[in-house]
Amino acid sequence: MNEFVSLTRRNLIISASAFAGGLAIGVSPARAAFSDSNPWAGADEPLEFTSWLAIQPDGEVIVRVTMPDIGNGVMTQIPMTINEELRADWSKIRAEYADTNRDFRENRVYSKVEGRTGYFSGRSTATERTQTALQVGASARERLKAAAAEVWGVSAKDVEAENSILTHKPTGRTLTYGDVAEAASRVQLASEPAPKPRSEWDTLTKVSRSKLQDPMLVNGSATYGIDVNVPDKVYAALKQVPVHGGRLKGFNKAAIMDMLGVLDVVVVDPDEPRKEMSVEAPYPLFFSTAQAAVAVIAEHYWQAKTALDALPVEWDLGAGTQWTSNEKVKSTALGVIQTEGKVSLAEGDAPKAIAEAQKVFEQDYYSGYADQAALEPLNGTALVAKDRVDVWMPTQHTELAHIVAAQEADVELTDVYMHQTFIGGAFGRRYFSDDTRMVVAVAKKFPGRPVHTIWSREETMSQGRYRPMSAVKIKAGVSDDGYPTSFLVRLASNGQQDQYLKDSPYTGGGAIPSIQVEQHFLPLNFLVGAYRGPFYNTNAFVMESFVDELAHESGIDPLDYRLKLLEPWADPGWANLLQKLAQRAGWGESLPAGQGMGIAIGNFGYNGEPQKGTTAAAVARVEVSKSGELKVLQLDVGADPGTILNPDAFETQLYGATLFGLNMALLEEMDIENGVVVSDNFDTYPMLRLRDIPENIRTHLDVTSGHERMGEAGEPPVGPVAPALANAIFQATGKRIRSLPFRKVDLSWG
Amino acid sequence: MALINLKINGEEKSLEVDGQTPLLWALRDHLEMTGTKFGCGIAQCGACTVMLDGAAARSCTIPVEAVEGVEITTIEGLSPDNSHPLQKAWLNMNVPQCGYCQSGMLMSAAALLKENPNPTDEDIDGAIDNICRCGTYLRVRAAIHQAAKSGA
Repeated sequence: MNEFVSLTRRNLIISASAFAGGLAIGVSPARAAFSDSNPWAGADEPLEFTSWLAIQPDGEVIVRVTMPDIGNGVMTQIPMTINEELRADWSKIRAEYADTNRDFRENRVYSKVEGRTGYFSGRSTATERTQTALQVGASARERLKAAAAEVWGVSAKDVEAENSILTHKPTGRTLTYGDVAEAASRVQLASEPAPKPRSEWDTLTKVSRSKLQDPMLVNGSATYGIDVNVPDKVYAALKQVPVHGGRLKGFNKAAIMDMLGVLDVVVVDPDEPRKEMSVEAPYPLFFSTAQAAVAVIAEHYWQAKTALDALPVEWDLGAGTQWTSNEKVKSTALGVIQTEGKVSLAEGDAPKAIAEAQKVFEQDYYSGYADQAALEPLNGTALVAKDRVDVWMPTQHTELAHIVAAQEADVELTDVYMHQTFIGGAFGRRYFSDDTRMVVAVAKKFPGRPVHTIWSREETMSQGRYRPMSAVKIKAGVSDDGYPTSFLVRLASNGQQDQYLKDSPYTGGGAIPSIQVEQHFLPLNFLVGAYRGPFYNTNAFVMESFVDELAHESGIDPLDYRLKLLEPWADPGWANLLQKLAQRAGWGESLPAGQGMGIAIGNFGYNGEPQKGTTAAAVARVEVSKSGELKVLQLDVGADPGTILNPDAFETQLYGATLFGLNMALLEEMDIENGVVVSDNFDTYPMLRLRDIPENIRTHLDVTSGHERMGEAGEPPVGPVAPALANAIFQATGKRIRSLPFRKVDLSWG
Repeated sequence: MALINLKINGEEKSLEVDGQTPLLWALRDHLEMTGTKFGCGIAQCGACTVMLDGAAARSCTIPVEAVEGVEITTIEGLSPDNSHPLQKAWLNMNVPQCGYCQSGMLMSAAALLKENPNPTDEDIDGAIDNICRCGTYLRVRAAIHQAAKSGA
């Protein structure tokens, strides 16, 4: 047995003995006090089997989920996985978020599973998590059977558990799960049951489930962060320094204090000392650094916003104003990659191989900053009282937010109570918890009343933690057969990393024996963060565009070229995916003038290792008019996560991520003026709408390798969309796109 | 401050509020009807869509004093028990992802079906101008067709 299974067993025993001694581990006081703000408000003192599972006398099954659901269905996946073993009536299953306060009080009872992504909003099918959930289900089921057997005075071996009913097979007597829940929660088993082998699963991989919260999402009753309603709440409208990294000089509070509803004006000071945290945070707290800000507090939001707009404020904008335009950032970055950078990876001797190559080919690529543009503006509510802080957040990492809140309010971890709400989109923006820090920083200046801080849309998007800008050069030494022998990769950015540049399967498998990666750090002031498929999202565009260019230079079909480069790669799922998808898409058909096809592949989560993560590929067919109007005629997208647990949920993520990739390719870049991000709403940062969606986007779920891993769904498909389109556009027009977004590129031809 | 009288989902409501307050914030913040969402504040995204006398409207840019005497329908008024054909279709097709835009999507769709009980794809594309960052668009369209077939 591996480590975490024994952990699960320990939990079961601890919990059971706690009940036996009459010490109930009930709901947290916070949840009881503020149940109206908790979308999964718990019942009083449920009968716990383990910290992960409770069953009520009425048969309701409560599953505790650590991962905030960002629309990806993680809150449904865990109950599904547990229920493969538990065999409860699905309609009786309810999910609720696992309390982070309890996690800190009870020796990391939840976050031990999957470590730093324990409380992250994705990866619900990760290995430890899945094994934990199956074990929880099996162990609870065996306790229910034992309790029923005790009632009947029979052997538990003769008891069957299915659909929340326990049946004594020889006599046909029945009891429900609820009937024996209390006794079952106290059962001590001699040994924990082993979950059944995967070959015997009859729901996972076979049955699709809609999200448990769907009924609350179609009638407006779900509580998102912005909907939190706690007694005595006030609102804060937030204004941070327009140039990231600047400072507040002053403001005229008297000018607005007479305005309707205004209660106070408070300041967030990034230079205030903050305590060292002894706990190991899942991600560095540096990423949650506060920005200089003022906030107007009022009884109602519109009052706060109106007063904020009227508040005279002076800023010290700082050095960031030197970045006067997108063009300045772009030309600076593209200039820097013409010079040698700091070597971060050297396998073989790439410079020598390039110097000796028959032919050298190089290209530069660029992508600017982009915003996650989640539809729910950033916001959160905090009540800072003496020795206790309550925070209601639509956060993407509850544990990280908890630690940030404790640091910002200067209280112990066990004095923080996080109330995880529903989330109106995240895509990485609500991950590093700078939003939680600002919410607590404002509320601590107005203690004793819950303060709901809301960023306007403009504030949300101009104060982003963007997908980093990056400029990348790849230089290849190419041999006579048209295939590369070496890559020199140069990256310039203020946050972009080199995933999928340094570890593509083309070099990782050995087809390209030598690679050198060099990096330049550019001291730009624009703040960066995670954006769906971090680093990989634009690096896949670079790598898959460059390989396509090499294929063209060598006069070899781009699919054949990739297949040749993948030959030595130890994961046959890649070639399988490319071949199947190309066949579905009609690869190789002759096309009329002005049309073209392009192909691309990538993987998120594999870290350069075979049969890990999820491989995704796309084949695009486009038409470009001579005046440069682009029409996507067909887009085939497939993914290989190994094994798919909930087919419909996977399809929604595959499709959604494809549209995200399409939006990224066509439309997205923040516009900069004198250090200020000015594309701060949907009029200047356009989004695809229903009328813009290509009719013929086809998602393929039956192109997987069948490998046993269960890779994620939401991020990998973002990568191949842009390069597949760019490669198709090249075939149609002879024009290479080497920068994002395409809307800023002239596609006219002929 | 003014006393504003509204008719929302068939009920009379009175509130003391600055008449320039957008209907969105009057609903959300003064009347605690939070199903209608704040997305952009400039009538771009459609998350705040409600029906005014049966037509879709973006409540984030309409002063509350301008809708006295108007029949206001919000997501809470679509049906109390998810029995509206659109809600049924939405559930049947597992349409929402994060769900945040879906109140607005549903209200836009309800207004469309009121006016046009059997819309074509083109009709839907023209009427549903709401932004969904998760990418639920094609399921939204399919669910509107399904609801139309069932007689919304």
